[in-house]
Amino acid sequence: MSKINRDSLRESIDNVLKYSNETKKRKFTESIELQIALKNYDPQKDKRFAGTIKLRNIPKPKMKVCVLGDQVHCDQAKANDLPHMDIEALKKLNKDKKLVKKLAKKYDAFLASESLIRQIPRVLGPGLNKAGKFPAPITHNDSLNAKVEETKATIKFQMKKVVLCLAVCVGHVNMNSEELYQNITLAINFLVSLLKKNWQNVRALYIKSTMGPSEKIY
Amino acid sequence: MSGKSAAKSIHFAADLPQLQNLIKRDPISYKDEFLKQWQYFHNLMQTFQLQPSKYNERLDEMISFLAQVGHCYKDEVVDMPGQLCDILKNHSTVLDRTMRMTLVKALIMLRNKELISATQVLQLFFKLLRCEDKLLRKTIYQYVVADIKNINSKHKNAKLNSALQTYMFSMLQENNAVTVKTALDIMVELYKRNIWNDAKTVNVITTACFSKITKVMVAAMKFFLGKDELEEKDDSDSDDDGPKKSVKELTLGHRVGKKTKKRKKKLDRALLAINKHKKKKTAPEAFNFSALHLIFDPQDFSEKLFRQLEKTTERFEVKLLMIDLISRLIGIHKLILLNFYPFMKRFLQPHQREVTHLLLYLAQGSHEVVPPDAMDEVLMTIANNFIAERNSSEVMAVGLNAVREICSRCPLAMSEDLLRDLVQYKLHRDKAVMMAARSLVQLFRKTNPDLLHRKDRGRPTEARQELKILKYGELDAKTHVPGAEVIPEKEDKQKEASEAQEEWESCSDEDDSDGEWVDVHHSSDEEIAETEKKETPAETEEKLKLAEEISATRIMTDDDFKIINAKQISKDIKSASAARARKRKFQESSLAENNSELPRLGDIEMVHKKKAHDKESRLATVVAGREGREKFAHGPQKMNPFASTTNKEKNKKKAFTMVKHKIRRRKVKRSFKEKQVSLRNSLLKRSRNARK
Repeated sequence: MSKINRDSLRESIDNVLKYSNETKKRKFTESIELQIALKNYDPQKDKRFAGTIKLRNIPKPKMKVCVLGDQVHCDQAKANDLPHMDIEALKKLNKDKKLVKKLAKKYDAFLASESLIRQIPRVLGPGLNKAGKFPAPITHNDSLNAKVEETKATIKFQMKKVVLCLAVCVGHVNMNSEELYQNITLAINFLVSLLKKNWQNVRALYIKSTMGPSEKIY
Repeated sequence: MSGKSAAKSIHFAADLPQLQNLIKRDPISYKDEFLKQWQYFHNLMQTFQLQPSKYNERLDEMISFLAQVGHCYKDEVVDMPGQLCDILKNHSTVLDRTMRMTLVKALIMLRNKELISATQVLQLFFKLLRCEDKLLRKTIYQYVVADIKNINSKHKNAKLNSALQTYMFSMLQENNAVTVKTALDIMVELYKRNIWNDAKTVNVITTACFSKITKVMVAAMKFFLGKDELEEKDDSDSDDDGPKKSVKELTLGHRVGKKTKKRKKKLDRALLAINKHKKKKTAPEAFNFSALHLIFDPQDFSEKLFRQLEKTTERFEVKLLMIDLISRLIGIHKLILLNFYPFMKRFLQPHQREVTHLLLYLAQGSHEVVPPDAMDEVLMTIANNFIAERNSSEVMAVGLNAVREICSRCPLAMSEDLLRDLVQYKLHRDKAVMMAARSLVQLFRKTNPDLLHRKDRGRPTEARQELKILKYGELDAKTHVPGAEVIPEKEDKQKEASEAQEEWESCSDEDDSDGEWVDVHHSSDEEIAETEKKETPAETEEKLKLAEEISATRIMTDDDFKIINAKQISKDIKSASAARARKRKFQESSLAENNSELPRLGDIEMVHKKKAHDKESRLATVVAGREGREKFAHGPQKMNPFASTTNKEKNKKKAFTMVKHKIRRRKVKRSFKEKQVSLRNSLLKRSRNARK
């Protein structure tokens, strides 16, 4: 007795894709997001849930990732044509709030070498953390490109403010419906597993493209 | 005719309440009388203006009268609110106390009848707060809260609200302590009642945290810490315990006895009260989000607070409040405030006042994004100052507990050497210390077993194999729902067939506790046989792939999640190398799962010794022993319960005064034999005492 029918989910995915690829095509790649409304959830009593999951297919391919690395990583980044900064460049920011903010705004995510990451709060101050873009560590062993891809594929579930709902980006309209289906199912499954009473905490689920109408799937 | 009306008006002049009653019933026909009174009021006002500090009874009555009937003649009394306001404005502090209260009450009444705007009244009332009059201040406070509540009762009037809010916020910048405090109190009250529960209000209250007036600052901080909220909740609970009798009792009571109208009414009223109470209880709980989450810029706020804390010369209690607020902000918003930890180090002494609270705040203020080296120093300080043999066992236990709480939120802070030192206290002679050290071992078994000694790591479990130790800043991004591999991959057709059955299962008791599930897993022999073969890395990978596949292709149901949960729990217990798998009961950890965002003081202060056989369990055995046994009584019981009683027994049951004289006489009239015996006894006793 599944809460969501597979076929109806596929149908609504197709609807969304049809609307933004045929009915009303926009001049940019629309992203598709999953919107979740919760119920029976007391944000004061229950623990705030937060979780990260790596989707199968990258939802936001245009994400910009900056490498804050030591010599080795900077060289690798240069070879791969990735934006990068070394510790000297970071020190030049001089903890200036505005500069750090600018840096945080410029990129969507950061990676930092393992040897560096511990110094980052001291060098940059709280700016990156405030923007919610604290870097992820990389070691010399793992390949830089793979790590960047992983970062791009990772999404965060997080309840932000007063309202009992949240939304995450799970794909874009240039993906085919099978890829979207995988991403959405994985995201839903993971989210529901985070909730204390699983499906009993879910009021509604929607998917929608940036400019399109929303499709109720649960 | 005219003579009659003149007589009437004279009559009414003396009796305003009667006129008020008549006017309210029929305003049009009594208009003339009203106009006369209106004229009289103006005359009175003129005389009053000459001597505003004097109490004028006639005017007092007249004002209340006009306020009561003003709404019937809106056109005529248009300028009255203005007039009253002017008096209050110009002579606010000079006015007589009673007169002032009458004026305020009249204005409130006019406001309730919408004869004057809310902002106008509010501004005037805030000015009046300067008067040294407690009752007046209280009235104003209550009125403002009630009025804003009424305005928003049907729907939120955003425009008016924002106007009132801006005015209220400007009041917080005033110099007058009473004005500021009242404004703050009003805002806090309105927030608690869910009327002004927006971020704007909260962020204005943050500014009050930096007030120079201690009272205001403390009130604002208590608001964020949610302190008096709890106190009030207790009060209200004790206040309305609800109706004492249930519906059933009431109807039963009504069934017996005479059926009069009065009794019927009484019953109806009682039933109504019960229903009302029920409704109150079932009404959805007010959605009161913790104000801490609504702050716009927590980093800035906490930095400012910290600067204030460093400079402040307030009392220790106020400092504690500040530290509490800062640490909560850090913990909840995962802020980085590096100076906070060295600052706290100076308080970490066993003899420090309220040291357990300070340790708690330190635990609140730790989270995984804090650089480990900052936390490391703090841990070392705690270890050096608290956890040493020279201290008492309570101090050591508190220190160990604090270390555990900090490490549970920031596991990277612990170094291998320190942990191995601390863990050695697990064999300490004092139970509190031993328990604290063991709980530390338990924690690290789950988070980072590599730091422990090999023998402390415990039997490797399945969960341990899957455990990935997070490096600093790393996020645990999974590619699947953990434990998804256990869900049987069912074909859709089969599913449909078994759907009916499944429904039956889900209908059965929902509370099938997870513990039961686990037990089944263990007792079943086939389960063990299944896991008998050792898992190779390839198999683990296969499992992972399966889990990924399942979690990406099918949407799980509640039943699936039940299975997953059971599996995840069993993983914690089941040993990884199944060859040595033994049946082992699941040991519940002594620490209850902490559900809230903040650590609890009880976890740190847990130094009491729990007896192995405590009072409750002792009582339980006593009660169990009593079952199915006759009641105890002294002496041999009578063979025949209907047999007559002896004189001796009768004497025992009599009141003492009735037999007193007999007892005395017995002492005097002893027989020779009795005297002999008692003498012998006393001599023996004396000799025994002498020998000692």
